[in-house]
Amino acid sequence: MDKEWLTIALAKGRILPPTLQLFTAAGIDCAELSADTRKLVFTVGAQKLRFILGKPADIPTYVEYGAADLGVVGKDILLEQEKELYELLDLKIGACRLVVARRRGSGAFTGGYVATKYPRITERYFQQQGKQFELIKLHGSIELAPLLNLADVIVDLVSTGKTLAENHLEEVETITPITSRLIANPGSYQVKGERVMAFTRKLERVLSVQEEVQ
Amino acid sequence: MQEKLKRLLTPEGVWDLLPDMARQKRKLEEKIQELFSRWGYQEVSTPAFEYSANFVGEMKDGLAEQLYRLWDERGRTLVLRPDFTIPLARVAALHLTQAPQPLRLCYGGSIFRQTAGLQGKQRELTQAGVELLGSPHAAADAEVIALAAAVLQAAGLEEFTLCLGHSGFLDSLLSAYQVDLAERAIIKRLFYQRDFVTLKKQVNRLPLADRQKENILRIPTLRGGREVLEEARELLTTEQADRPLATLAEIWSVLEDYGVTAYLQLDLGLVRMLDYYTGMVFEGYTAGLGYALCGGGRYDRLLEHFGPARPAVGFAVSIDHLLTLLTREKKMPALTPPVYVAYGRGGRAAAIAAAQALRTGQTPAILAAAAATAAEARRQAAVRGAQRLLYYSEAGVLDLDLQKAAGEEELDG
Repeated sequence: MDKEWLTIALAKGRILPPTLQLFTAAGIDCAELSADTRKLVFTVGAQKLRFILGKPADIPTYVEYGAADLGVVGKDILLEQEKELYELLDLKIGACRLVVARRRGSGAFTGGYVATKYPRITERYFQQQGKQFELIKLHGSIELAPLLNLADVIVDLVSTGKTLAENHLEEVETITPITSRLIANPGSYQVKGERVMAFTRKLERVLSVQEEVQ
Repeated sequence: MQEKLKRLLTPEGVWDLLPDMARQKRKLEEKIQELFSRWGYQEVSTPAFEYSANFVGEMKDGLAEQLYRLWDERGRTLVLRPDFTIPLARVAALHLTQAPQPLRLCYGGSIFRQTAGLQGKQRELTQAGVELLGSPHAAADAEVIALAAAVLQAAGLEEFTLCLGHSGFLDSLLSAYQVDLAERAIIKRLFYQRDFVTLKKQVNRLPLADRQKENILRIPTLRGGREVLEEARELLTTEQADRPLATLAEIWSVLEDYGVTAYLQLDLGLVRMLDYYTGMVFEGYTAGLGYALCGGGRYDRLLEHFGPARPAVGFAVSIDHLLTLLTREKKMPALTPPVYVAYGRGGRAAAIAAAQALRTGQTPAILAAAAATAAEARRQAAVRGAQRLLYYSEAGVLDLDLQKAAGEEELDG
C-alpha cells in the first residue's frame, strides 16, 4: 500500500452533500462524488486521494481495519460503536441531537421499555440515571414504537423535531448534541502522519473562517 | 448432520490453523524467539491460567472486563492469562530475585481476551515479547526499541514506523500548570483516545492562561524527528517537562548508534494505557494496518506489587497481526516442499534408507504408506506438492524432479 495515498471513507446519505461542500471549500477535489453514479470508489490522482462510499454505520469499521485512513461519520455512531479510533476534528456538519422522546402527554419516565437504534448509548445513559429499563433494538421507524405500545420511550436522532411531532411524540431530554467528525485509525495517524495532519489543517482553516463569519 | 457440524465448529474468536499456515506461524515464532535469544534474552514459560488476584488490581486499563474467569475445585477464581507482563513480573519476584541484574526475559504464546462479538476480533491472541527488568537507564529503553525494530525486520517488513513518546511529559506539564488530579485523568484519557474534539472543549474549560491552554492543545502536533524535542522545549519551559524530554533525547542518541532512527518518529501526545507506564512508551505501525503491530514501554511501578521494587521496560509484538500482514503481502516464510519416497516390490528397505538419509540432511521426506506402482507413486507425490519423487523397486531407482517435470508439462500444454 502506497504511503503517499490517502483513502477517505464517506457516508452515503444525509451528510454527504455538506461533507463534499466542506471538502471543496478546503480545496480537496471531490467533484466526481457529487455526480449521481453507483460507483463506490473514486480516485483523484492529482491529489493522491481515494474516496470510498459506505453506509454510515460501516465507516468506523473501514477505518478501524485500515481499509480507509480517514473517515467522516456522525458522533452518534462513534458513541454507539466505541471503537479505538482517533477523533481529529469536529466538522460541524450534520448537526442534530440524540434525545429521549415519549408520547405527548404521557407521564414522566421512571423506568420501562426503551426502543432505539442505539442500544449501547441508551444503556449507558439510563444506567447513569439509575433507572430500570429493558432495551428493544429496532432498525428504523423508531417513532412507531410508543404508538404501538412496544415501548414507553424511544432514544433517537432528531434534527428539526418534525418527525417526532408528526407522530405525536415529544422530546423529554437531550442526551447529547451530535455533529460529524473526522476520524483516523492509529496506523494511518502514525504512518501517514504528515498527510493526515495537512488534510486536517486544510479543513480546520475552512472551519475557523466559517466560525468567524457566524 | 447439522448438529454434528455445529459441534465441530470453533467458537467465535478462535481458529483452527491448517497445514502450512500452522507451520508458517511456528516458523515466525521460532525466528523471533531465536532473535530474542541472540540478544541475550532468556525464555520463560508461564501457565495459561493463574489466580485472578494477580491480575485484578494490577491490570491495564479496560482489561478487567475482558478476562476469562474460571474456578478451581476449592472455589478460587482463576483467569486465563490476558497478557504476559504480569506473569513475568510474578516469576521474576518469586523465582529470580537472586539472578544477576538486569534480567532479560522473553516469552511467546497465547493470551485470552473476551472481546465484543461480531467485530472480527480474535479472542485467543499470540504474542511474543521481552522484559528487561532492573535497569532504569535510557540505554535499556533504547535496547528494547531496537529489538522491536529487529523483530519487524526479521519478520520481513521493510517499512514501518515506531512512534515514541513519554508518559511523564503530559503528566508533568499538567502538574506544572496545577491542573487537579481529576481533570488530569480526564485529559490523559482524551489523549489516550486521541479524541481531539472533546480535548479542545475540556482544555478550554480549565482555569488556565490562554497560552497554557494553547500549549496543551499543541502537544498532539509535536510529532516527527528529533527536532520535535527542541520544539517541545521551547514551547513548554517547565523544568518537570524537561526530564522526560532529556530521557527521550538520550534514547534517540542510543538508537542512532543502533542505526534504527530511520524508523523512529517522536510523538509527544502518545499515551498508552492509563496508570501503567511510567516513562518511555512506543508503538509500531505499518501502512495498511489500522492497529499497532507491537508496543511497549517502561513500567517502573509494577514489580513492587509482587516483590522488590525494580525498574522495568518491555514490549510485545502481535504474531497474529504480523501473520495477517505477511499473508496479505505474500511474504510468509517459505516452506521446503518434501521429497516423496515410494517403493514397489523389493524396494522397501532401500526406500526407508533413502528417506532417513534425506531427513538427517534436513530435507523433509514423506515415505509412501504402502507399496505402489511407479505411476501411482507419481500421482501421490504430485498431490502432496512434492519437489521430487524417489521410487525404489527391484528394477532400481527412479529419481524424478517434479518441479522441473511440472514446468515441462506446462510448456507442452
